Amino acid sequence: MNASIAGLPIISLVTFLPLAGAALLIFVRGEAVKAVRAVAMAVSLLTFALSLLMFFGFSGASGLPEFVERASWLGRGLDYHVGVDGISLFLVLLAAFLTPLALLSSRRAIDDRVKEFCIFMLLLETGMIGVFVSLNLFLFYIFWEAMLIPMYFLIGMWGGRRRIYATMKFVLFTMFGSVLMLVGIFVLHAAYYRATGSFSLTIADLAATSFSPATQTWLFLAFGLAFAIKIPLFPLHTWLPDAHVEAPTAGSVLLAAVLLKMGAYGFLRLGIPLFPRAAAHFAPALSILAVIGIIYGGLMALVQKDMKSLVAYSSVSHMGLIMLAVFSLNFEATEGALYQMLNHGLSTGALFLCVGVLYERTHTRLIRDYGGAAGRMPVFAGLFLVIMLSSAGLPGLNGFVGEILCLFGVFTSNKVLAVLAVSTVILAAAYLLWLYRRVMQGPLKDPDDQRLRDVNGRELAYLVPIVILIVFMGLFPGGILRKMDASVTRYIDVLKNKPGLAMTSSVPSRPALEAAAVVEPER
Amino acid sequence: MTIMALAPLVAIVGGALLVLLLEAFLRKADDEIPATAAVLALFAAGFLIVRSWGLELGYFGGRLSLDPLALLLMAVFVLIAAFVILMSLKYAPGQGIGLGQLCGLLLIAVAGLMIMVSSTDWLIVFLGLEVLSVASYALTGLKRDSRDSSEAAAKYFLMGSFAGAFFVFGLALIFGASGRLDFAGTLSAGPAAMAGLGLITAALFFKIAIVPFHMWAPDVYEGAPTPVTAFLTIAPKAAGLAVLFRVLVPIMGGRPAGALFVPAVSVAAVLTMFVGNLSALRQKSVKRLLAYSAIAHSGYLLVAIVAGDGPSLVFYLIAYMFMNAGAFSVLAALSGKGIEHTSLEDLSGLGRRHPWLAASLAVFLLSLAGIPPTAGFLGKFYIFGSAVREGHIVLAVAAVLASLISVAYYLKVIVVMYMHDATIDVTLERENPALYLVVFLCLFGVLELGIWPGNLLIIIRQAVTGLF
Repeated sequence: MNASIAGLPIISLVTFLPLAGAALLIFVRGEAVKAVRAVAMAVSLLTFALSLLMFFGFSGASGLPEFVERASWLGRGLDYHVGVDGISLFLVLLAAFLTPLALLSSRRAIDDRVKEFCIFMLLLETGMIGVFVSLNLFLFYIFWEAMLIPMYFLIGMWGGRRRIYATMKFVLFTMFGSVLMLVGIFVLHAAYYRATGSFSLTIADLAATSFSPATQTWLFLAFGLAFAIKIPLFPLHTWLPDAHVEAPTAGSVLLAAVLLKMGAYGFLRLGIPLFPRAAAHFAPALSILAVIGIIYGGLMALVQKDMKSLVAYSSVSHMGLIMLAVFSLNFEATEGALYQMLNHGLSTGALFLCVGVLYERTHTRLIRDYGGAAGRMPVFAGLFLVIMLSSAGLPGLNGFVGEILCLFGVFTSNKVLAVLAVSTVILAAAYLLWLYRRVMQGPLKDPDDQRLRDVNGRELAYLVPIVILIVFMGLFPGGILRKMDASVTRYIDVLKNKPGLAMTSSVPSRPALEAAAVVEPER
Repeated sequence: MTIMALAPLVAIVGGALLVLLLEAFLRKADDEIPATAAVLALFAAGFLIVRSWGLELGYFGGRLSLDPLALLLMAVFVLIAAFVILMSLKYAPGQGIGLGQLCGLLLIAVAGLMIMVSSTDWLIVFLGLEVLSVASYALTGLKRDSRDSSEAAAKYFLMGSFAGAFFVFGLALIFGASGRLDFAGTLSAGPAAMAGLGLITAALFFKIAIVPFHMWAPDVYEGAPTPVTAFLTIAPKAAGLAVLFRVLVPIMGGRPAGALFVPAVSVAAVLTMFVGNLSALRQKSVKRLLAYSAIAHSGYLLVAIVAGDGPSLVFYLIAYMFMNAGAFSVLAALSGKGIEHTSLEDLSGLGRRHPWLAASLAVFLLSLAGIPPTAGFLGKFYIFGSAVREGHIVLAVAAVLASLISVAYYLKVIVVMYMHDATIDVTLERENPALYLVVFLCLFGVLELGIWPGNLLIIIRQAVTGLF
């Protein structure tokens, strides 16, 4: 497998180019705002270009990670080991695609300490991409934790009135999960050593090892808690509305579009493949929580007065569907979940950008302060409508493809939950269309208000690419799904062949269960 | 057996005498000459330490032995002492402290520390401990105009003497029971020697501020001059832990003493981590907050003792030296003539006023909190990881939860620096290149050890693994 394109270590470049950009920015004078913005934008665009290069070079035939780079780092299994497969490829692309757009969107909103802002955005990009490309559990954890810090600063320094409360809550909630995951990593490290006599934290090695049921249960709970908080799964979602409402637009965009995906990605990459037996055991409970999240998030979104918290609760609802699909543990649902992760990233990210556009004009996010904006902002109204309908899952747009795949998959494993999950479509249509009616239609709230000008070139530059992608991914999902197929097939095959996992149809035999109990439980 | 084993010690003691003589005979204005002499003595000692590497020198019939663990820690002491002197060049005159006195006392303390870590005999450990203690009491009280400083010195002296008495009593019990005073003799002796060892452990726990022997620590750390606090939070801790490591680890492996000492030390570790971190949450002064954080860090280090993992212990001590010395050096940089700016409010808006200092302090605090990719994270990773490997999962869970609490207060300082507007205007009085050098070196150390510890990790593993 080639590790590079045209001799370049492509993954390392995509991951660390933003970091290098941030380091460069330290030495640019803070007063030279234009130069700072130009450097940050150039670096993030270059990163995106490189990630596109990666995308086109990605074959996706084998289902194994490609462009793998591996180097020994700290010894004892703590290696530098990166690569992308069909599961992580698009999440890397999503992060690389949205960062320049988020930077562009903040050009007017952020005018204080621009240099620091750009540095933290670039650090965040490195952290996000690093999480998705890591093939070593230690490296994964480093990025997973390190990424919190730039987000902490972004919310805390440029956020709204209750920013400090929100950012502390965000960090402490997330960290609570991840410190327990850290203990889980220690246990895995020790258990792997005991089972094989050598050190490794390579995710593939760990997944190939069977751990005893008790170990699996505890480890799944430790890892699962970290991921469930990040997603966030009901009832661990309370940090999310606070963080979203207080964060600056660019922060909200990346938080919703990429950070939440890390939780679902964590289940797909670690939680389920490493501890399949425990995952199967807890899948019904987690599925029920996911369905509660779908309905609860949708109902909460209906009653929000603030546009940002409406979008935040819609995230809870949408992520619930993704989780439900992930825990259906079959091919359609998994692929649907992956596709829906991209859709949610694009449409929710774009919704936050739209709220940002309105907020920059009127400095209010309360729905009741708006009305009839479409009359003054026709172009914006059109874009907003497409984005909103994508989020609501209208056929022809990307959201529909993802939702239908998810629901098909869920239906084959549990019909009751599938029926309940369909409510996500109804609720989303309800709160989004109602939002649109109240903000965009009807009489103009204040006819003398001259502030509602239509979108300018800069705003078009970051909204139009997303809208184009939304339409494209709705009409031609094949190209993207094809690159995922091999990896998802492999993922499902491994789960099916791994002893001890109760799949929908096959119940493992007794000897298979005992084979899973090779490794002794931890003390 | 060669006299060369004493060479680093002789360099330090000789330096101390020279500094004190210079201090006595030169005029007050020439304060920097003794300081220069002290730095040169430290350089000489450092050179001799490097020369002794791998030679396994010993003296006094092996009672003083320069094994790799001793040499590594001696290097740490030399480095931290050099940091403290560089930090004090401008700080000491500003606070009315005689720089020469500070340097002389500091070298004496370093000599005591070196004796402690290189001896394998209780009596010699006690000798080193007392040399260290007397010098530390005086160092704490150097700010003679400040009531806090004098009070801290008095407190430290009283409590320290008390702990010294424990130590001597324990020593008597060991000698009475076994007729020997070397570490190996303690290991084979019966219950009376174990009781003696318990008393000595308590005395050492006092020195490294382990709960419930920590009462003196916050006041002393807060009252002492800031560079001295940096020294006191790091160096005696390293020496005390090294002695504990040499004695407790072999004992905890065996029965029945292991059944007694493992739970006792584990409970002490958990208490220390939680009491230190929970108390730090409520502090309004950054210096006092760091004092409580220093207590909590003793707890983390004790986890390494329970796990019996020497390499992790040494790695964390070195990491801790860089991050803690860095944090205190930033505080020292903020002091003005006759005043110190160490309250949380004094730091408000520091991110705008002094972006470099604020960013450095933020990195040090994040490292103390154990957030990757810093040295603090890697240190915790190794210590807690070895605790799990040795089967102390509950201890590891307690440790990570305690460090979660610590994240809250370290981030609180960052909140004040970056997310509050300046309430008062504190400007730095003058340029201070020596101090900035310390900040830079600490920053480099924290990041280097967090991202690419490479050789250091290998050296530590080779050196400390072959100890027994």
